[in-house]
Amino acid sequence: MPILLAAIDPVTRIEGHLKVDIEVDTVGGVQQVTGVRTCGTLFRGFEKVLEGRDPRDAPLITSRICGVCPTSHAQAAVLALESASGRGVPGPARILRNLVHGACYLESHLLHFYLLSLPDYIQGLGMPPWTPGFEMDRRVDKATSDLLTAHYLEAIGMRRRCHEIGALFGGKLPHTSSFIAGGFTAVPSQPNLDAFATGLDEILNFINTRYLPDVERLSSIYSDYFFIGRGYGNLLSYGVFELDNTNMTKLVKAGRIVNGAGAVQPVNAAAITEDVTHSWYRDADNNLNPSVGESNAEYPKSEAYSWLKSPRYSGVPYECGPLARMWVNGDYTNGISAMDRIRARAYEALKIATAMKSWHSQILAGDSTYNEDWLTPQSATTMGLTEAPRGALGHWLQIADGKIARYQVITPTCWTISPADGANQPGPLEQALFGTPVANVSHPVEALRVIHSVDPCLDCATHVMYARDAQTR
Amino acid sequence: MTLSRRSFLEYCGLSAAIIGLSSSKLGFLAEALAAPNAPSVIWLHGSSCTGDSISLLNRIADAFPTSVADVLTGAVNLVFHGTLMTPAGDAAVSELKRVYDSGNYVLVLEGGVPTAFHGGPCIVYSLNGVETTYMQAVQDMSAKALSIVCAGTCSSFGGIPASGSNPTRVRSIHELTGRTTINISGCPANPDWVIWAIVQLLTATPVTLDADGRPTALYATRLSGATTPALVHDKCPRNNLVNVNAPPEATSFTNCDGRCTMQLGCRGPFTKSRCDGQWNTTATDPNNPPNMRWRNNWCIGVNANCIGCVEKTFPGPQSFYEPYVV
Repeated sequence: MPILLAAIDPVTRIEGHLKVDIEVDTVGGVQQVTGVRTCGTLFRGFEKVLEGRDPRDAPLITSRICGVCPTSHAQAAVLALESASGRGVPGPARILRNLVHGACYLESHLLHFYLLSLPDYIQGLGMPPWTPGFEMDRRVDKATSDLLTAHYLEAIGMRRRCHEIGALFGGKLPHTSSFIAGGFTAVPSQPNLDAFATGLDEILNFINTRYLPDVERLSSIYSDYFFIGRGYGNLLSYGVFELDNTNMTKLVKAGRIVNGAGAVQPVNAAAITEDVTHSWYRDADNNLNPSVGESNAEYPKSEAYSWLKSPRYSGVPYECGPLARMWVNGDYTNGISAMDRIRARAYEALKIATAMKSWHSQILAGDSTYNEDWLTPQSATTMGLTEAPRGALGHWLQIADGKIARYQVITPTCWTISPADGANQPGPLEQALFGTPVANVSHPVEALRVIHSVDPCLDCATHVMYARDAQTR
Repeated sequence: MTLSRRSFLEYCGLSAAIIGLSSSKLGFLAEALAAPNAPSVIWLHGSSCTGDSISLLNRIADAFPTSVADVLTGAVNLVFHGTLMTPAGDAAVSELKRVYDSGNYVLVLEGGVPTAFHGGPCIVYSLNGVETTYMQAVQDMSAKALSIVCAGTCSSFGGIPASGSNPTRVRSIHELTGRTTINISGCPANPDWVIWAIVQLLTATPVTLDADGRPTALYATRLSGATTPALVHDKCPRNNLVNVNAPPEATSFTNCDGRCTMQLGCRGPFTKSRCDGQWNTTATDPNNPPNMRWRNNWCIGVNANCIGCVEKTFPGPQSFYEPYVV
């Protein structure tokens, strides 16, 4: 039987632009993915926008990298600036940041399961933009499908509720202006604290009575996806949600797991490099640490097939995201697969929402939220590491003469959806797609299920190149 | 759950007073939506952050349709939206092609257009194995569209990606095509304003635009009519010319609570928008009149600067935290 080729372009129900080329062959009697290329098809060139600006602008500008995780970028930027300044922020500012960032996590996780992922499994509504659907294995009975569709519609409102409680302190979402170097603009008031508590309880209730049961329903019907989409089993977390003013203790710890086994290893940012062998950047900039990263766009380029670079840790590919975080923290040990990613994300939503309740109880109306001794550093080399809903997020920057001299960002999707590197190690999503059974190559929904399990965000991923002098004529 | 045509019309009736939709137009809307050949809506993403789509999902109208679920199931035939649609790959593109060929669509564009590398930094889809850039798709689709709505500052004016020395050379839709676009600027675009624009177009209601292509009804006036000031500062409750009880201007973020932050960089005096009380309603007190219910939900409500995100000049090279100079 000949090898079949399929291009999924666009991959929809993601943020940004992604094309996936797959090669399908029959091996051991099963038609499956035998070759794959994930192609990031959007390059945003954001870092150059930051050069020459006031360093304090970084949270506002970098937020606009991603409309789904703007607060994660804002958080990475303020952490970097505060690290450079050597000045921390008052406890209530740290907590308000966590509450707004946490609200965005909950929004993102609900959005992912119901709006982005679920249509891979159920028929959904019989009208655009849900039609035409896929020809696929319809295993969900009508009653369950109707229930999930009703919850889909509820989830649209509930994820909005997440933004509403975040906006109580953030002003508006997405894209809040409340994260500032040295603190947080909002001062909590009692009505806002009360409204936050009410909304958070509603969201917690939705997680407990809808999200978790729905995920378990789906995972029992499609239990074969516990054995599909494993990938390397290399898991990376930078850690997120600071629990004290040293920024050393976090709700979600940093760490690495290698091949799904063994003790949690530490994370040292010096071990991170970016390979550009198959990316549209000049090979001269290969394998640099982001603190000194250079990228000169070269398009077209014969070996290249993606605008994403290939971040590697000591030369090794890692996936990141909720499953990586939950695994590194010992909160989830069931397995590594497409369905485990969906389940871990849901249980992480519960973990974070529960933590938010306790953080909320630690602040009082009128608490001070800005460090009156704040001074913007005039000269510094610094970094800010945090986690976006989709995984490990790092900002690296230099400040000279009080202005941003260079800025480099590595986003979670860059880790997870990177192309193959110079050692021909496929990117983590590519690796996860190998062996995925595909019944109908014209409707490769099985591949889409694996792709969606990592929650791709290409808006975020492909701005990361620091494309110096990339103007073309 | 599904919204009926009737309740959508009720919404339009309720908001008619607000948006100046005459009763004859409402009758036309009923006719327009019931017609089998009612226009479809195509929503394309370019060099965007998807924030305008996420914002669309936050639709906050106080009357039906209260959520975007209502809009999608009852009012607007959204045939292509990369973030929301079920189909992917060829199935998605062939549907897009069918509607494009008909010419019977309103085109909503989110994100600016990278023009470097012949548009190569943004590929929106493949058709018959050939990649199509956003630049090409915008040229083609805007030529046949009934009308064009730019959702957000990037497609309206270029926005942040067009600032500084971005190597992808992002341009606005108007800069690229020279066509008239209805610009619903904002970073992100306010969801109610985007739906408002689409409803105007589906009902063939003329939209008066300002010099920057923005509907005057949304940017140069207030909900209640045309007589109140357009500038954010001129209606800000922290401005003591507006509110005699306003406390003195803040001189630091340590004393900014409830105070005007003009000295800290607020661009409210230079920004025309009716943002006041328009964002992320929490409906904390349903007994309040609608315009008071979400009073605290805007940037200024949390002591943050207005950063002028609806303006053509956004973000500009100046610091967001120094007094703004024109």
